Amino acid sequence: MAAVVHKLLHHDHHANREPPSQSSQTEPSNQSGQSNQPPPSPHERQDSAMDRARDEEKHAVAQWDEQRQPLEPGQIEQDRKWVGHSSRVLRQEDFELIKTLGTGTFARVWLVRLANAREGDQHKVFALKILRKVDVIRLKQVEHVRNERNVLGSVAGHPFITTMVASFQDHDSLYMLLDYCPGGEVFSYLRRARRFNEATSQFYAAEIVLILEFLHEKMGVAYRDLKPENILIDAEGHLKLVDFGFAKKVENRETYTLCGTPEYLAPEVIRNTGHGTAVDWWAFGILVYEFLVGQPPFWDQNPMKIYEQIVEGRVRFPSAMSSDARNLISGLCTVDTSKRLGNIKGGASAVKSHAWFQHIDWDALYHRRINGPIVPHLRGPADTRNFDEYEPESDQREPYSNDMAEKWDEFFRDF
Amino acid sequence: MSLPPDYSNEITALNREILKHQPSDTLQFCANFFSRRLESQRAEFLLSQQHSSSQGRGLAESTFPGSNPFSTSPSGGFATSHMQRLEEEEENDVVASPTAASFSPDAMDHAQSTPGEDTFGNFENFADSAKSFPRQPPGLGAMDAQSFPSNYNMNRRTSVSAESLNPASSINDNWTPPYHQKTNDQQARLKAGVAGNFLFSHLDDEQSTQVLGALQEKPIPTKGIKVIAQGDVGDYFYVVESGAFDIYVNPSGKLEAGPDGLGNKVGTVGPGGSFGELALMYNAPRAATVVSTQQSTLWALDRVTFRRILMESAFDRRRMYEGFLEEVSLLSSLTPYERSKIADALETKKYPPGTTIIREGDAGESFYILEAGEAEVYKRGVDKPVNRYKKGDYFGELALLNDAPRAASVTSTSDVIVATLGKDGFQRLLGPVEGIMRRNDPSKASALDADAVDPLAR
Ligand SMILES: Nc1ncnc2c1ncn2[C@@H]1O[C@H](COP(=O)(O)OP(=O)(O)OP(=O)(O)O)[C@@H](O)[C@H]1O
Repeated sequence: MAAVVHKLLHHDHHANREPPSQSSQTEPSNQSGQSNQPPPSPHERQDSAMDRARDEEKHAVAQWDEQRQPLEPGQIEQDRKWVGHSSRVLRQEDFELIKTLGTGTFARVWLVRLANAREGDQHKVFALKILRKVDVIRLKQVEHVRNERNVLGSVAGHPFITTMVASFQDHDSLYMLLDYCPGGEVFSYLRRARRFNEATSQFYAAEIVLILEFLHEKMGVAYRDLKPENILIDAEGHLKLVDFGFAKKVENRETYTLCGTPEYLAPEVIRNTGHGTAVDWWAFGILVYEFLVGQPPFWDQNPMKIYEQIVEGRVRFPSAMSSDARNLISGLCTVDTSKRLGNIKGGASAVKSHAWFQHIDWDALYHRRINGPIVPHLRGPADTRNFDEYEPESDQREPYSNDMAEKWDEFFRDF
Repeated sequence: MSLPPDYSNEITALNREILKHQPSDTLQFCANFFSRRLESQRAEFLLSQQHSSSQGRGLAESTFPGSNPFSTSPSGGFATSHMQRLEEEEENDVVASPTAASFSPDAMDHAQSTPGEDTFGNFENFADSAKSFPRQPPGLGAMDAQSFPSNYNMNRRTSVSAESLNPASSINDNWTPPYHQKTNDQQARLKAGVAGNFLFSHLDDEQSTQVLGALQEKPIPTKGIKVIAQGDVGDYFYVVESGAFDIYVNPSGKLEAGPDGLGNKVGTVGPGGSFGELALMYNAPRAATVVSTQQSTLWALDRVTFRRILMESAFDRRRMYEGFLEEVSLLSSLTPYERSKIADALETKKYPPGTTIIREGDAGESFYILEAGEAEVYKRGVDKPVNRYKKGDYFGELALLNDAPRAASVTSTSDVIVATLGKDGFQRLLGPVEGIMRRNDPSKASALDADAVDPLAR
């Protein structure tokens, strides 16, 4: 079986694709030297070779779902892996939209099933995140969306990050095909349970530590929007981090754009002194606090008052909280980044060896050999009981005009 | 005839588990699997019941931060937060709850439970225990309504972001902040006006001067002018120079048409007051409407200018520090990543002329880079300075290595700014300096010889 999996994950890069001249488009990183000709809208082409390619691609996607297996950190970094590729052949019609799973400021995520698929592939479901180019432009999120696609593509295969199987686009929309996480958001479980007990919190926190370790130390990526709303539970009860809208490859340069979620913003983001991966460790401290207490440590009706509390950085703990948990949270939620746990010497491994995590077998955890505290009970792979109902999409949409396409499609060409 | 889908699902999941764990005792493994599944399904059922009883909260809608009440100016007084008062009363309370007094200590009882006991059911493996009995579902016992902080917003929270900013110097763009002339009086009043605002209290002198310079006068010719409207996007922060304004909040979250569209008057702002500071962070809907009650004058500052001033100076300072650090021979083997960490940790200090920054014979604790100004080096028994330091020179770096006494004194001859870092701080970030020096070149260890690296000894 391992061989099959290998073949699947490292699928020949050029198979199922357009002729070689186009296929280099699938590697966003070596784009810059390319000719300035935009691709001849391959998504609008109609011919039988194309149909065959689409059919192949759909089958490959279904096969991926069949075999899904996490990659080792070393494998994820390979640039020629198949998962996370930009597909020049898939289209929205290849998917039947079943139900809205969630909406963001400018995206809608659908539960989808493969349409017109081969025998045996017909029941494969995925989450399809659809972004309208008009909205992305209007909300000035072009750069964030490009970052999201590129980061998700490069991290695809990590056991606790939602896998972007492929991305594609058509005239007015961008699509990211994601593995469906039927358990819904950790947020919903947390709000229903009010707070998680220590063991549950430790388990989820530990999986997050592995994500941050990987993103920061292997990929040089800051995630920048950690919160229970962005953490989903998969069919086996493990976490999947979603929404990489603010993720950015920062490496050793600091960055300045304010982004995140008010209660989770790190002090250096508020003060605009430049920030890096250390913001995720701050947010991680807030997250652990929220798991254990049921609400984040800094809160006020008025957001400015939240920020004032954050830059002051005085965390108050309920008396019942264990001293290990307090110690961990205090270490993480330290205003001075040169003293913040996770950012100081040792990086993520200093967090992993903290007493609060002493019961965690980190290797077993990475390989998903430890059972999570909540395993969703599902009627079938397309069960959406863990998701809320959303308003249908409004019909009145601003069109993506040719003028806009001329101006902006250049920016979306890697998608 | 086909098997029920529920069943197929369970079996598929079981198959996966079997493949993954390759158990030796298959039957026991399957039995454990099913009892775990049962437990988790029951727990989930109870949770969903709990959920439906609190449906009204509307988990799917997100109102934060748009609907947040608005508050600010010292003279406003309309946002005396209920919660703040509670918090003060609670200050000495042993319960020490996070932000709400209503947080009862026993609501936290589950936080202390040991792993393996009372969790979301199938946690046994995690806790490394072989037990696998259905137990009371998670934390449900702790969910009495009273214990819950009533004021916390339980909805999904929306992400926020400001426009993306790239430092001018990184893209060879020459940007200088806008400057609007002000009299000394005006300048002083403005300074006082923003003093209480934490966004301004962290600024250094240069940033502060630039920010105050960038505030632009905005005359409000008459009464009845809506400077900001609740629900609108906000880009400007305002300080009142003269005149007066009323503040209204419409409970609907938005300014409406018609005579009552303003909503309720919640306060007033007069000279020295300010409003709209959230706009300096990101583009959030205004939380109130502000209307002039007479002819007035405002000072306005927009977000992009404000954030850019902060960013440009932070960026330049970092690059300057990284540049200085590259020159420090003791630290020559730092990677760019490590250097940027150290640059981030450097602390700025200022000294007037004639200050002895380090003193010969004292135990060395910190290392210094001269960022601006000049200093002289003295040794006991020598009348004249043995050396002079100017911008970019560094001293005292041996303190990072050992506690040896300072080999000389350094005294400022002008106003100076230094960037400094202690041995503790350095080790916290990167570990002992010896290790860093040795890792590229074991022979570097000989550089530990003070004469070779300490400019003080030169
Ligand atoms: N792979 C997935 N499986 C199941 N549900 C998903 C998946 N990805 C996203 N969702 C659901 O859709 C919601 C919105 O997705 P996402 O956060 O990626 O969109 P967004 O527009 O970037 O959101 P926001 O504006 O809040 O940042 C998620 O919170 C989640 O509930």
